[in-house]
Amino acid sequence: MKRVVEGSEAVAEAVRLARVNVISAYPITPQTHIVEFLSEYCANGTMDARFLRVESEHSALAALIGTATTGVRSFTATSGQGLALMHELLHWTSGARLPIVMAEVNRALAPGWNIWVDQTDSLAQRDTGWIQLYCEDSQEVLDTIIQAYRLGELVDLPVMVVLDAFFLSHTYEPVDIPDQKLVDDYLPPWEPKFQLDTEKPCAFGPLVTPAFYMEMRHAIAGAMEDALEVFPQVEDEFERIFNRRYGEVEAVSCDDAEIILVSSGTAASTSRLVVKDLRAAGEKVGLLKIKLLRPFPVDIVRRVLASAKKVAVIDRNFSFGASGIFAQEIRAALCNTMKHPPVFNYIAGIGGRDLTADVIEDIYRRAKASDFPERESEWVGLQEV
Amino acid sequence: MEQNIHENEYIYPGHVACSGCGAAIAMRFLLKALGEKTIIVLPACCWSIIAGPYPQSSLKVPVIHCAFEAGGAVASGVRAALDIKGDTETTVVTWAGDGGTFDIGFQALSGAVERNEEFIYACYDNEAYMNTGIQRSSSTPYGAWTTTTPGIEWKKLRKKNIVEALVAHRIPYAATANIAFPDDLVRKAKKAKEIKGSKFLHIYSSCPTGWRIPSEMSIKIARMAVQTNIFPLYEVEDGIKYTINYKSKEYPVREYFKLQGRFKHLSDEDLEQIQEMVNEDWERLLKKAGENP
Amino acid sequence: MAKGKGMTIPPSILIPCSYISTESNKTGAWRFLRPRYEEKTSPCSAACPAGEDIGRVEMLATQGLFKEAWETILRENPFPGVCGRVCYHPCESACNRGEFDEAIAIHTIERFLSDTAARNDFKPVLERLPLRKEKIAVIGSGPGGLAGAYFLTLLGYACDVFESMPEPGGVLRWGIPSYRLPLSALRNDLSQIESQGVRIHTGRRITRDSLEDMYGIYDGIFVCCGHSASGSLGIPGEDLKGVANGLDFLRRVREGEVPSVEGLSVIIGGGNTAVDVARSVIRFGGKALIAYRRRRQDMPAFKDEVAMLLDERVELRELVAPIKIAEEAGEYAMTLGPMRVAGEDTDGRALVERDGNTTEEIRIKRVFKAIGEVAAESWLEPPEKDNDIKILNNCVMVNRSDHPAVVFGGDLTAGFKSVVNAVASGKEAAIALDIVFRKGLDSVDEELANCVVGDGPAHSMEIHMKGERYKRSSHIVPYEEINTDYFSFTQGITQPRLLKDERLCTFEEVDLKISASVAMRESERCFNCGLCNQCDNCYIYCPDMAVVHDSSINGRHIDFDYCKGCGICVVECPRNAMSLEEED
Repeated sequence: MKRVVEGSEAVAEAVRLARVNVISAYPITPQTHIVEFLSEYCANGTMDARFLRVESEHSALAALIGTATTGVRSFTATSGQGLALMHELLHWTSGARLPIVMAEVNRALAPGWNIWVDQTDSLAQRDTGWIQLYCEDSQEVLDTIIQAYRLGELVDLPVMVVLDAFFLSHTYEPVDIPDQKLVDDYLPPWEPKFQLDTEKPCAFGPLVTPAFYMEMRHAIAGAMEDALEVFPQVEDEFERIFNRRYGEVEAVSCDDAEIILVSSGTAASTSRLVVKDLRAAGEKVGLLKIKLLRPFPVDIVRRVLASAKKVAVIDRNFSFGASGIFAQEIRAALCNTMKHPPVFNYIAGIGGRDLTADVIEDIYRRAKASDFPERESEWVGLQEV
Repeated sequence: MEQNIHENEYIYPGHVACSGCGAAIAMRFLLKALGEKTIIVLPACCWSIIAGPYPQSSLKVPVIHCAFEAGGAVASGVRAALDIKGDTETTVVTWAGDGGTFDIGFQALSGAVERNEEFIYACYDNEAYMNTGIQRSSSTPYGAWTTTTPGIEWKKLRKKNIVEALVAHRIPYAATANIAFPDDLVRKAKKAKEIKGSKFLHIYSSCPTGWRIPSEMSIKIARMAVQTNIFPLYEVEDGIKYTINYKSKEYPVREYFKLQGRFKHLSDEDLEQIQEMVNEDWERLLKKAGENP
Repeated sequence: MAKGKGMTIPPSILIPCSYISTESNKTGAWRFLRPRYEEKTSPCSAACPAGEDIGRVEMLATQGLFKEAWETILRENPFPGVCGRVCYHPCESACNRGEFDEAIAIHTIERFLSDTAARNDFKPVLERLPLRKEKIAVIGSGPGGLAGAYFLTLLGYACDVFESMPEPGGVLRWGIPSYRLPLSALRNDLSQIESQGVRIHTGRRITRDSLEDMYGIYDGIFVCCGHSASGSLGIPGEDLKGVANGLDFLRRVREGEVPSVEGLSVIIGGGNTAVDVARSVIRFGGKALIAYRRRRQDMPAFKDEVAMLLDERVELRELVAPIKIAEEAGEYAMTLGPMRVAGEDTDGRALVERDGNTTEEIRIKRVFKAIGEVAAESWLEPPEKDNDIKILNNCVMVNRSDHPAVVFGGDLTAGFKSVVNAVASGKEAAIALDIVFRKGLDSVDEELANCVVGDGPAHSMEIHMKGERYKRSSHIVPYEEINTDYFSFTQGITQPRLLKDERLCTFEEVDLKISASVAMRESERCFNCGLCNQCDNCYIYCPDMAVVHDSSINGRHIDFDYCKGCGICVVECPRNAMSLEEED
């Protein structure tokens, strides 16, 4: 049923529909509405679940490591500082192969306190072994969370569903909230491959010496590859029931594009408009929206970008001492192809600064104006200081 | 002396605890009290190693190892999941050293206790970060040498009173225990199992390696800690009712300190001062228990 | 291993998850010290002249195994009913518990066990060696002779005991008053001895001639007829009618006579006989005065006896000796002279001499001499100088090629005269003879030395017969080796007694019996020094589950695959029944 809901409510609805059994979360702006909705559902019986009101984000994920190891479907949500605090346990969750799903609201990192959208927080965690999915609108967020449980439980990896601070979390949009029955058809109850059981005692997470550790890590790598392989099937099943799919990436007007913009999150939505307008003005421009960052869909990206003359990656994040992070990912994917276009990198919208259509168009023009990137990344929209 | 120690063993031999390890003894008594329907949440500590390297486990009950500071939180999660599954029999126990309880783990412990989570938190206290090589913790007692309080920098701060900190949370049950008093420890563990809400056991566990004592003195030193009133045995119910379980012969503390290498630098004046500190603390405890000094 | 769930197969995906036990890791390889169960000797058992396994007796009594406790005594001493009443219990002076709070009332428990055995008609099962061809004659059925015969019987020898009196028992029957040793108690012990096969021939006085007749029939002879002749005062008037031998008096009382003792009786002497005579006199309504030439603390009589003596209002005159006795008008006048201390004797008692020339005269009705006894006939004294005599701890052995083996023992050879020393003597004689017959005279010293308890001088039959006790270390456990953390101050029992007024008019036993719960409460206080009483501390405190219960006699063993040699078991054993040694 279609309702106009806040992005946070879409998250909460997805969690409800996925029949999550334990939610453990610590409030941080702008995730707070998510936890408030979920608290309400647990209190009024809409959800048959426990809500653990832990005393920090680290404890939130720690508690879920406990619940998931006991074989129960689990959820958390966080943002910015909270995600940074969880860092140690993000590694733990994937190493323990626990299919926990997290809604991550992209928020800038302090100091100074900045509650607005910035992707550095989630991207700084791209090495932690979590599947990462970047969403553009609330419908996608809701759908992706449901899919995340299916995907994670198939390959035994945790999944981070990323949404922009305020632009998604606090914005109202029309969202089709599916029937519980249909979601039940799509998403069966979780059958854990292992759990704490006094009838079959074993010890999870012991000391592992160099003699054994490498193979376990290799298994995680393998699971990521499996995730890439299984992703289309997860979407196929979803499309069959709900008539929607998103793809690991979405290529818009890329076939004959000379310059392809690469973007993610709500900036991708704005980019669509810019591309549409530029195309109307005769520019041969395309947009590659990246949804699946981990595992990185190398083959698809290579295929889409192969024929372009230039690639311009818009990064609402930065890896200090290097460049924007999506640019790094794209460059790494293209590196081992025989021929590939140069990759320009534009840093914009940092810390919630508005990433408008004008900014995007400016980026296009800059890319068009240079044959080759003069520098590894270019910051756009800086003010005079 | 009567001993009612259950015959069943819940630990396999072949574990790599140091010779004479008090922590191994403490876990052995705890599991004898709680039985096989127990899940151990095990943050980083000596027992992370004693529990056995992959693919071995020295425990016959399920274990979930976890990050150092997360003991209280992981236990909260395990408990919630068991409740969802309708399991009312399994006891969740966080088994942590003093580091993972007093210091880095204190937040998660405090959070769990404040939420009155249904679990037992058992801290086996060897009074330093022993697993990483004898560094001081806030549980290290006044006067002790550690590798981070060496030489003249021996610890001149008192041991943190963890029981009092939790009593301030109105924890339903908190008690001290000691490996040299197995009946008392077993009784308290069993009692804790029956009480609803959060329960805390502070178990004194000798460390021959870290305290520089001969391994065979492990139990004797533990007993002396109680007999000198340095580590009194008592329980607190609902954060209000104090009961002292053992009135000792009140040996002078000097005897306890003289036997341990970690205290050998203390002068007679230091020992006298410590004796006064111990006497004061004991009298304060007596008052709380409603007894006259 | 105690029961537990087996571990599982690994999870289907490769995760850090342990699923097999640590048992394959044999941590015993870490060890450089190795513990073992090693029982040692309790000081009480070493102090007991008969070498009774007292620590074990107390342990069994605590477990309610009264028959087994009684049998443990009988292995080393056939007179528990007697000794539990009249022994001077050196065991209690050696008791380690005495340094903690109070010594265990060992003799009270011994008496309790004997009474319980009699009341329930226990039939003891004792270790015996197969019958041998040698026959032994025992002269005298006092404690020494009967003990000797008893032990010889257990060792496999047919024994004939010859007793001149109409009933057996010697000083037990005829010398100790019934308020100390009722006849029934003696008869309990005697019937047990006879039930083992000892043959007692009463009314058979052996002379030097009849002794020589025995040489052809018997392979060994144990001469143990005690001292039945009185010593001499050496003063004028000693032979007067009113001067009687104390031991004779006691015998007549034991025969059932009710003597006339009106008026004041004076008893010369300070030993048990003197005390017994005095306390018997007052029970017949007479008044008694003991005149002793040394001080009270020098009296050889048992201290408890002296205390009760004074309680019963017998007058004790110390440092006074009789000079002469004269008859006067149906009474007697005794002249006493004061004595003074003039140095110290070798045994620590005072040496005394006449103090000046003053005298004192007292008027009395009769005199009893209790100044010590000697052998009735000279041939009863063991030879002193002979190439073929062996002087053992408690007896003297003669071995000549034309004689059978002859041993003198009991009071005839004792340094200190007591029932238990007589038993020790009988035991030593029995073991010595056994060694002579099995291995020869040359082996006697060594074999006897092999079966002492602790450092000796007591011997143990069980050790000689290579029973369980043989395995024990002879190290005597001192108080310092007891881990007193496991004991709390507990008052010992007080021997219940007849009230003083009740005592004075009866020969009923002064010491009263105790109940089983009181006995067990007292025996439970025993540290069981050096013995394993299955307290399980070793099992309880082992950090490595390396102490494993089993069905052996010890009840447990150490699993050396895992024992790291930490030594906690040895330190926490309250009674030093374990030892720690270097690993090879």
